[in-house]
Amino acid sequence: MKSIRFENVSKSFDGELILDRLNLEIPAGRFFALLGPSGCGKTTVLRILAGLDAVDSGKIFLGDQDVTNQPIYTRSINTVFQQYALFPHLTVFENVAYSMRVKGIKEDEVKERVYEVLKMARLFGHESKYPRSLSGGQQQRVALARAIVNRPEVLLLDEPLAALDLKLKEEMLLEMIDLQYKLKTTFVYVTHDQFEALTVADKMAIMNTNGGIEQIGTPKQIYEFPASRFVANFVGNTNIIEGKLGQSEQGQVVEVDGLGLFSVYVTPEKSAINSSSSVYMSIRPEKIFISKKERSEFSNHLQGTVVDIIYYGRSTQYNVKLKNGLRLMVFEQNEEHFPQESIDYDDNVHLYFQKENIVLLEC
Amino acid sequence: MKTLRKIFSEEIAFVFSCPALLWECIFLYLPLLVLALYSCFEFSAQTNSWVFTLHYYRQVFHSLYFRVILNSLKLAFTATLICFTIAYPVAYFLAIKVQKRFRTFLLFSLILPSWTSLVVQIYAWFFLLEQDGLVSRTLHWIGLIPKSMHLLNNYFSIMVGLVSCFLPFMILPIYVILDKMDPRLLEASADLGADKIETFKRIIFPLSLPGVYTGFLLVFVPVFGEFAIPSLLGGSTYVVWGSLIVDKFLRARDWPFGSALAIIGIMLFVLIILSCVAIRNLVKRLRGVN
Repeated sequence: MKSIRFENVSKSFDGELILDRLNLEIPAGRFFALLGPSGCGKTTVLRILAGLDAVDSGKIFLGDQDVTNQPIYTRSINTVFQQYALFPHLTVFENVAYSMRVKGIKEDEVKERVYEVLKMARLFGHESKYPRSLSGGQQQRVALARAIVNRPEVLLLDEPLAALDLKLKEEMLLEMIDLQYKLKTTFVYVTHDQFEALTVADKMAIMNTNGGIEQIGTPKQIYEFPASRFVANFVGNTNIIEGKLGQSEQGQVVEVDGLGLFSVYVTPEKSAINSSSSVYMSIRPEKIFISKKERSEFSNHLQGTVVDIIYYGRSTQYNVKLKNGLRLMVFEQNEEHFPQESIDYDDNVHLYFQKENIVLLEC
Repeated sequence: MKTLRKIFSEEIAFVFSCPALLWECIFLYLPLLVLALYSCFEFSAQTNSWVFTLHYYRQVFHSLYFRVILNSLKLAFTATLICFTIAYPVAYFLAIKVQKRFRTFLLFSLILPSWTSLVVQIYAWFFLLEQDGLVSRTLHWIGLIPKSMHLLNNYFSIMVGLVSCFLPFMILPIYVILDKMDPRLLEASADLGADKIETFKRIIFPLSLPGVYTGFLLVFVPVFGEFAIPSLLGGSTYVVWGSLIVDKFLRARDWPFGSALAIIGIMLFVLIILSCVAIRNLVKRLRGVN
């Protein structure tokens, strides 16, 4: 396990700048996720790290060692490829043994280590099968086994679960978390799927469409305290309301055209935002309480009409139109078979939320 | 319902393949049968009837003629091997190294010669290799040979003709398979610590083997039966199976003997193909056990 550092790495393809002086630090021995929209350059980051693509400028460090110009086959980094890229003419055993046989490791040791990894990947008994006769999940595990058998310092995973169905995906995510915990190898997981990233990561980075890093933090930090409008929108669902920051006798408030004043809580790290400057308020839909009754224990209160109801099973989404035309999204847990109040289309509803749950973002 | 549809589609397939089957029966299997009958039945004037005999087969095995068949096999094998040695690097270069936009042009120029008649190709070599031909003059001019030489009517000229005529049939199947190869497999191999040579040895070459097998068949089969090239470019120096049969049928008018020669050649050939398949299956089984 080793840490990874990108220093001012730039890369362009066909004259198009994909990465522009990227700086990124990935901690050693952790499960790190790189999350970004399709085409943002996250796969390029991975390919550069693996050694599949060369950088135009900048440096890459593995631990303290500069590996920028080290050829791919000498790097102690292995990759689980998006479509697995299993060798079709080799059996499961031979696929997993590949890296060791290339190195010229003795057959006895090869056998021992391959079986050890196959057991870990729950592939025991499949060793003499060819990849095409395996299911998607099994192929995925072979790819994983093949990549870890050589005990790399870093394991790269490029959208490894994209081809699997949801149930299997959830199962594999847990298996990978387990595996990382056992191996203590640095895992770098690239995905556009926020659910996967939030599930597996100890720490994650959000990339924007220009190949820049928007925010780095634990999944909880990213979700609860997004640093920018992009992150708030990209990770999870949110409501964005634009207003002007100000002061009143109740404390700090945001004034929104047509909706009046919102009480907000400005966290210490946000204290740099100037008073009376424009801000975005981000409120997660599940942090808004919806009811037809009047309540008094909340610091913010809005009224509106229900325009959409989307039933998800464990929760229901209400889209509520406010009096200034803005629509807010609200999630409500379906906690009971027979809810005390049922909300229907065109009902007038009250929306409540606490000021601590509003994240202030600079415009 | 499902089975009904299956039966129906099978019947349709059968109906549509009937013309081809009929064609094959009339123009391939029937003549082969006639050939086989000719090789083992003899018209006896005493009894005024056809009598079964293995006389002609005995004659083939007990004579120099069998050596001719073996020599032809050797010639075909050598030519195929030379074709493979030249074709593989060419196909590899075309499929992996050359940029996509040049490929069509290069492929086209490779295939173009085989669109002209075989005889024309042979005569082209004739003029190149003769006493004062371009090749011997060039060699003389460079200083490799003291005076212009006659390069025809020997093993070398036969080989040149065979290889040049059949090379495209080896290049194409190998090219097709290399071109289709998933580049991600090569990346995966490099990622797992294999350098270019190891990747070629362990991934590219084994995966291209089906193309190589096809190429071997496409070259070996026609070269084995080829008689125009050996007789035109080899003169009378080198007798091959094909030309022997032509000779027996057209000049000596010894049809039974020619038939026996043909049948034995075909049988040897089938034997070789079958044993190749058997070896391949055996290797697969052994590897499967692992």
